[in-house]
Amino acid sequence: MDIARSSIKWIVLTPLLFLACAAPASAFEGEQTLYEAAKKEKELTWYTAHYGSETAAAVCNGFEKKYPGIKCNYIRTTAQVAYQRLAQDQKAGLAVASVFSSTDASHYGRLKQDGWLQPYRTKNVAELIDAFKPYNDPDDMFVATAAGLVLITYNTSVVAAKDAPKKWTDLLDPKWKDHVSIGHPSFSGYVGTWVVQMRKSYGWDYFKKLELNKPRIGRSINDTVTMLNAKESWVAAGPSATTLQSKDKGNPLALVYPEDGAILMVSPTGILKNAPAPNAAKLFEEYLLSRECNEIMVKQREESVNKSVKPLPGARSIAEIKTIRPTYEEIDKGIPEVKELFRDTFGI
Amino acid sequence: MRWRHLDKSVFLWLLLVAALLLLVINPLARLVWSSFQHGATGAFTLDNYVAAYGRWRYVEALVNSVVLGLAVAAVCVVFGVPLAWAVSRTDMPGKGLVWAAILGTFIMPSYLGAVAWILLAGPNAGWLNRAYMGLTGAAAGPFNIYTKAGLVLVIACYSFPYMFVFTRSALDLISSEMEEAATTLGAGVLRTTLRVTLPLTLPAMMAAFIVAFLEAIALFGVPALIALPGRIQLMTTTLWQFFEFPPRVQVAAAYAMPLLGITALLFWLQQRLIARKGYVALTGKGGERRMVKLGSWRWVMLAYCLFVTSLSFFLPMVVVLQAAFAKAWGRGFSLDNLTLANLKFVVVDQPITRAATLHTFVYGGASAALALGLALAIAYIVHRRLVPFGNALSYVAMAPFVIPGIVLAIGFYAAYTSPPLVLYGTAWILILAFTTRFLPIAYANSNAALRAINPELEDAVRILGGGRLLALRRVVGPLLKRGLAGAFLLVFIPATRELSSAIFLYTTGTQVLSVLLFDKSDEGNFEYLSAIGLILVIGTVALVLAGFRLVGRDFMLKRTAA
Amino acid sequence: MSKLALHHVSCRFGGITAVDDVSLELEAGEFVSLLGPSGCGKTTTLRMIAGFLNPSVGTIEMDGDMISSPASALPPEKRNMSMIFQSYAIWPNMTVAENVAFGLEVRRLSRAAVRAKVDHILDVVRLAALRDRYPAELSGGQQQRVALARAIVVQPAVLLLDEPLSNLDANLREEMRYEIRRLHDEFQITTVYVTHDQAEAMVTSDRIAVMNQGRIEQVEEPRALYARPLTRFVAGFIGRTNFLEGEVHGAEVVFDHFAIALARFVEPPALRGKVAFSLRPQSIHLHRRPPAASERTCVIPGRIVQRAYLGEHWDYVVRPKDAELQLRVTARPHEVFELNEHVWLELEPSQMAMLR
Repeated sequence: MDIARSSIKWIVLTPLLFLACAAPASAFEGEQTLYEAAKKEKELTWYTAHYGSETAAAVCNGFEKKYPGIKCNYIRTTAQVAYQRLAQDQKAGLAVASVFSSTDASHYGRLKQDGWLQPYRTKNVAELIDAFKPYNDPDDMFVATAAGLVLITYNTSVVAAKDAPKKWTDLLDPKWKDHVSIGHPSFSGYVGTWVVQMRKSYGWDYFKKLELNKPRIGRSINDTVTMLNAKESWVAAGPSATTLQSKDKGNPLALVYPEDGAILMVSPTGILKNAPAPNAAKLFEEYLLSRECNEIMVKQREESVNKSVKPLPGARSIAEIKTIRPTYEEIDKGIPEVKELFRDTFGI
Repeated sequence: MRWRHLDKSVFLWLLLVAALLLLVINPLARLVWSSFQHGATGAFTLDNYVAAYGRWRYVEALVNSVVLGLAVAAVCVVFGVPLAWAVSRTDMPGKGLVWAAILGTFIMPSYLGAVAWILLAGPNAGWLNRAYMGLTGAAAGPFNIYTKAGLVLVIACYSFPYMFVFTRSALDLISSEMEEAATTLGAGVLRTTLRVTLPLTLPAMMAAFIVAFLEAIALFGVPALIALPGRIQLMTTTLWQFFEFPPRVQVAAAYAMPLLGITALLFWLQQRLIARKGYVALTGKGGERRMVKLGSWRWVMLAYCLFVTSLSFFLPMVVVLQAAFAKAWGRGFSLDNLTLANLKFVVVDQPITRAATLHTFVYGGASAALALGLALAIAYIVHRRLVPFGNALSYVAMAPFVIPGIVLAIGFYAAYTSPPLVLYGTAWILILAFTTRFLPIAYANSNAALRAINPELEDAVRILGGGRLLALRRVVGPLLKRGLAGAFLLVFIPATRELSSAIFLYTTGTQVLSVLLFDKSDEGNFEYLSAIGLILVIGTVALVLAGFRLVGRDFMLKRTAA
Repeated sequence: MSKLALHHVSCRFGGITAVDDVSLELEAGEFVSLLGPSGCGKTTTLRMIAGFLNPSVGTIEMDGDMISSPASALPPEKRNMSMIFQSYAIWPNMTVAENVAFGLEVRRLSRAAVRAKVDHILDVVRLAALRDRYPAELSGGQQQRVALARAIVVQPAVLLLDEPLSNLDANLREEMRYEIRRLHDEFQITTVYVTHDQAEAMVTSDRIAVMNQGRIEQVEEPRALYARPLTRFVAGFIGRTNFLEGEVHGAEVVFDHFAIALARFVEPPALRGKVAFSLRPQSIHLHRRPPAASERTCVIPGRIVQRAYLGEHWDYVVRPKDAELQLRVTARPHEVFELNEHVWLELEPSQMAMLR
């Protein structure tokens, strides 16, 4: 009898609980006040290198839907260009951007040093996947809002699943000679970090051996997608998000989560000290960590940084796979070093 | 000096000269200045030059770029001159088709063509290679786009239209009597063409050679796509390195300086070679232009024309079309891979495309009009020697072209983001940057066009009481109309696909299609890239055709049977 | 006061002196030609008068006002002159009528007045039927007349012509020479005419200024210029002539194997030492038998060494007995002599012009 009554309780309560959990907006404390203040600022400009322009557009649209009355303008470029623009703005004394999102973690050390950021501790940081929390700035100058993976990708129409490389060192196998595609650390923050990690794990010999396979070197990490689709290359060190987006369209691509670890890219976002729309910027940062935003991101095949949002089928959640990543100091110091080494080894 | 003796239009000339100097000298001066500045302290130093040329790699890049430029210009001659001759002076059939294909080539952004060529001639899976392997049973195809030869080919494909247009304009003005004189002396068609007709177009060809050279060494998009994977060091990709974080703008400026020296050298060479010969071929009377009969050779010529335009336009367009209408371009041709979704997304779902399209054409049109107006005025001032140091003005007008778009953009940025003239964030900084960037083309063309007009036509106006301005308005302007329409297009079209300067100067309110396209190539999203590229090409073609309608009667055509 | 005056005008480009110390005065309504070979500076002089070039030295005045000097010059559009260019410079983008009307429109005449004047001048040059044609549809001669009409209709103070007939065929040239003179007479415009063709200059001009290497060698009305050339150059340039060089010995001038008494010359006391004369071919007459002697003439034996029949006259080359000299003689069509025939030359010393 007690069991039955408790079952009934659960039978009644569960749907209610379910309804409660499915409550629309993920609100945070003080959201309304911040929203009012932000509305007065009317619009916000965001420099981002975190994802492609469709995703950036979708993120912005989502923000405008969630917070009507604030226009969201984005300028999507590669990390280098974003930094260059910001630097020029600052030098000219112009305040254009309010929020800055770069994939190159070493940018943030410099930004902090130059005093261009303002601190803000987001309320939504509670929703951030725990694994990312160490990458937030202790002084709250920047917070991780995007993540990506560099892993092994291949074209399924020329490579059978069983023959595909399983770990990073498999790319050195002579059978992939003339068929490997990578990016260039001078153009891409992602590639730079990957190179630093490979050096950390295997020493620079890794690249000397890779050169024997005469890899096809592009610019951005996304060039690997083009190379695979063109069948110019069969395997690549590529990004999870864009490869999956391309695969969703029907292109014959597949991912391999390397046994020795996929490189985890954690991309921070910071609010600029001279932001023309500081309140909107804060609201935006909260939004980047929110469920709505991350739902939009996973639809675009980007990684979610929010605990409660799971990836779409075909991709595995970061929590489930082995990831490796160099530390900030290693990235900061390492990227300029590996750029030179890369040029010496590959001649370009 | 007596007041009534003063030609009051001299104030206008001085104003125009001032505008030229402001537009060109200001950013350049900033650049030169910063090449001597220490990055942190601003003190005078030569360290930047040491850093820029201290490593062999950087010097090698410069050498590669110069060799690339010369090779590209040479190939442009091989592509452009025969086509210009065929279209202008022979009875080859299918001229309309060839002309349309060349126009299409000119409109197509070179980086779009480069991506298409990777698909066509990639060493492993290029369509051409696979076709070859299929036909001959060979193990591998002979084409490899990731080589110096491939790079030269792709760049030349998109630079030869300049050679075509300049040479054709010059050829159109030559009276057939020149050729007939040679024929009566026993020279055949080939000898006449090589010894009489083509040498008369030498100034035009040289101008086009220089334009092709400078375009080749200043390109960023194509080298990034092909030279990088081909392991070929080039100046623009090296410059990019200097802008890497932390950026060393001063070293970049120092690195770019030798290009100015190269332009000067090219100019000096051009002047030396053509200075002593008279090239005024158009007077108030003039002879006819009759088509040379080629007999069965006309089919050979047509085949060659179609071959060249296939390389530059037809083949890449097939690739672009396939991708624009493909769900997944990696899947290749198949009926179930067709979709209109890409176009729909780009046109309907993404408002930024519409805004970017509008901006692209408006900025392109504005900068073309400005560049042409200024160029014509400066060319006039130089030709008629209205101010002293006219040759220096020529040099100033041509200087911007040698500065890579990126570097010019930085210079512009530096010049116009602080008071008194703050243009950053507005459309004007883009328009003025494009104007400056393409002023050299407008100038070279204006120069050639003006050179061909007999100064006596203006003298006749003046002696009858009209001032110089009236002469320009009533006589020179109308006579130049067709040539000017051509020159307008020569600025408008590159402005619509201009990337390297736009990428630094745009903001959310002033997005343009080239940046959108480039972003897509960065993102590996070739389907959308092709869809946007298709819109750009079709939109520009439509505007160009409309423009042709507006240009009236061609006064340069000579006597008919009467 | 003269209409147009050039005072010691020189023009230098770089190291070259194109025009050297030229002085010339034109009366109102006068027609003066600048005659000379290519490169003699005539076009440069014309362009200075027009205002397209500034003189390096000297001044140009019109109606007493200075219009050109090295320091300043009135721009061409303010000089109220007209010019016909060697290339005609008819604007190809305008019809005949529009071309001709241009100068009147600049002077802001009313549309009715413009039309009336244009119609009138087109009638005068007989182009009324072609008023709506474009230059590309006209022949050379027709274009020429458009240029004329355009220049004259504005009633300029001075009309300048730069070798306007050099591109026409011979018959047309002849016709147009008379036309130009006729128009000048009708409208009485002060005219400066540049040409290298002495026949043109002779037919059209009131006075001819012969130029050579930037300098004016002689300014004279046509008959005097022909009969009394002052220099070798002028003598040789205007028509054909014979040059006779001799030396004064006592009371006669000794030439190549013949002599003429001083008394027979026009200005005998001026003759001393070496002298040179110009003698026109028309001034020598050929006879089969020695003609009667007279005070005015001088008779020399000679031999025909060459002859050419030109329809309108004979061209003979005669060598006086024992002399190296060869004399050209123009004879009438019926005066036929054979090669190597012995003849008698009759000269009139009064027709011999002494050269400086």
